[in-house]
Amino acid sequence: MKQGPEVQELDIALRASTLVAGGFMGNDPRSVTEVIDTDAGELSRLGVSAAELATRMKEVTEKAAKAQGTWTETGPGREAQVDETRGANPCPWRHTGRYFKRVTTVRRKDSDEIIRWSDLNTHMIGAHGFFEGKGSMFRVEPAELVRMLF
Amino acid sequence: MIGSTLIAVLIVSFIAAALAAILVVSEHFIANYGECTININNERDLTVQGGKNLLSMLTAEKIFIPSACGGRGTCGLCKVKILEGAGAILPTEEPYLSQRERESNVRLSCQVKVKNNLRIQIPRELLSIREYVTRCVKIEDLTHDIKLIRLQLIEPATMDYIPGQYVQFLTPVYEKSPIEVYRAYSIASDPAEKGIVDLIVRLVPNGICTTYCFEYLKEGDEVKINGPYGEFHLSDTDAPIVFIAGGSGMAPIRCILYHMRNTGIKREAVYFFGANVVKEMFMVEEMRRFESELPGFRFVPVIAKPDPDEIWEGKTGLVTQAVQSSVKNGAIAEAYLCGSPGMIDASIKVLNDLGVTNDRVFYDKFA
Repeated sequence: MKQGPEVQELDIALRASTLVAGGFMGNDPRSVTEVIDTDAGELSRLGVSAAELATRMKEVTEKAAKAQGTWTETGPGREAQVDETRGANPCPWRHTGRYFKRVTTVRRKDSDEIIRWSDLNTHMIGAHGFFEGKGSMFRVEPAELVRMLF
Repeated sequence: MIGSTLIAVLIVSFIAAALAAILVVSEHFIANYGECTININNERDLTVQGGKNLLSMLTAEKIFIPSACGGRGTCGLCKVKILEGAGAILPTEEPYLSQRERESNVRLSCQVKVKNNLRIQIPRELLSIREYVTRCVKIEDLTHDIKLIRLQLIEPATMDYIPGQYVQFLTPVYEKSPIEVYRAYSIASDPAEKGIVDLIVRLVPNGICTTYCFEYLKEGDEVKINGPYGEFHLSDTDAPIVFIAGGSGMAPIRCILYHMRNTGIKREAVYFFGANVVKEMFMVEEMRRFESELPGFRFVPVIAKPDPDEIWEGKTGLVTQAVQSSVKNGAIAEAYLCGSPGMIDASIKVLNDLGVTNDRVFYDKFA
């Protein structure tokens, strides 16, 4: 698939370690467009939109954040914790806005299965449909997210 | 037909790439902005060779502007006022500048290229900031994800700072980061030990600096820091004190407590320190020693929810709940907070309810 210069530039930025160690693409050899398109197909199969997922992620984060770093119930059989560290990240798409280094961890009580995302993840999923490349530390699998959130 | 189209595309691409390369080389070798003068605060002139960004030029002159990303335009910290000569705001700066900052001529110093004379304004305290070469002499696990890192200053051998201030830690290029970055950490040490800087570092998953500190830094390694920075410090009053912190927020409070002990400050003080479970609590014995050394000081550790196998007889719940039920002198107390934005925002709300007005709430927010 051909990539325009803007997408090529974005792809380079996402693979660089400028914003986070290891970048956003992990060891994924696909282009950012392919990653987004493949995940969009998966979302379609799951019957949920990226915007709906991001909205639910935000709700969980905001509820858990009130517990000041402790675990709190966020839904039936689910608990979550929000960790915050110093600093904020801009979106690699380079538009206005910065996202605090806040990480939400959701745990299923029955299986101890956990899933983790950052505020930047939530934004990139909602605004750009980008779940990060395979092998990236903060890659979120759409199916796993749906299973943990709904 | 397809073959000739492909060849044409290749030729055009080659010419475009060649032109881009020529531009880059020209920029590097041919563009000559000559000598430029940077006037600082109408007090001092720096004469520099134009062509590089303002941040790097100031750094070369040992004027350190806080920056966490090494000048790559991603942290938005290196703001200075440029009163003349900066030109228009660049698209790379826009995400980081508020309308008020734009109107006040605030710019990102890493993005402004020095091409002509500049007149800039820098907060006076930044002019005394220095770079320190240090050696890591101790790395201690405080919890599973928090370490104490002790740095022995080598050159300069001592640092004067106000208890509560922070330094920037230079993370060198290493396996997981091809670039140098700075990250800010509050000074946690006893200020009487002027040759020592203790840092309390909490592991951030995938964080460039904390991954380096946890997986690569070893005792004996050389570390560069610069500082001190920040305005978080103990006021010069006799008001009773409420300290609130959690996790690595312990750092500046510990430093202030040493300062109180060293200088004989006898203010009434209570320190609420929160952790999730008992095994995440640390430096409790040291805090108990402060209780015996500082008349009027009380340490209140708060565990959110002890694990079933943990024995805990102290306070449980959120640290703000402990504050709510314990603080009775809000009308006259001052509060000093260090921690995440969420914890600080919640604490301020509780403190306000207890009668502590915002002008008596001081905080070092992780933001």
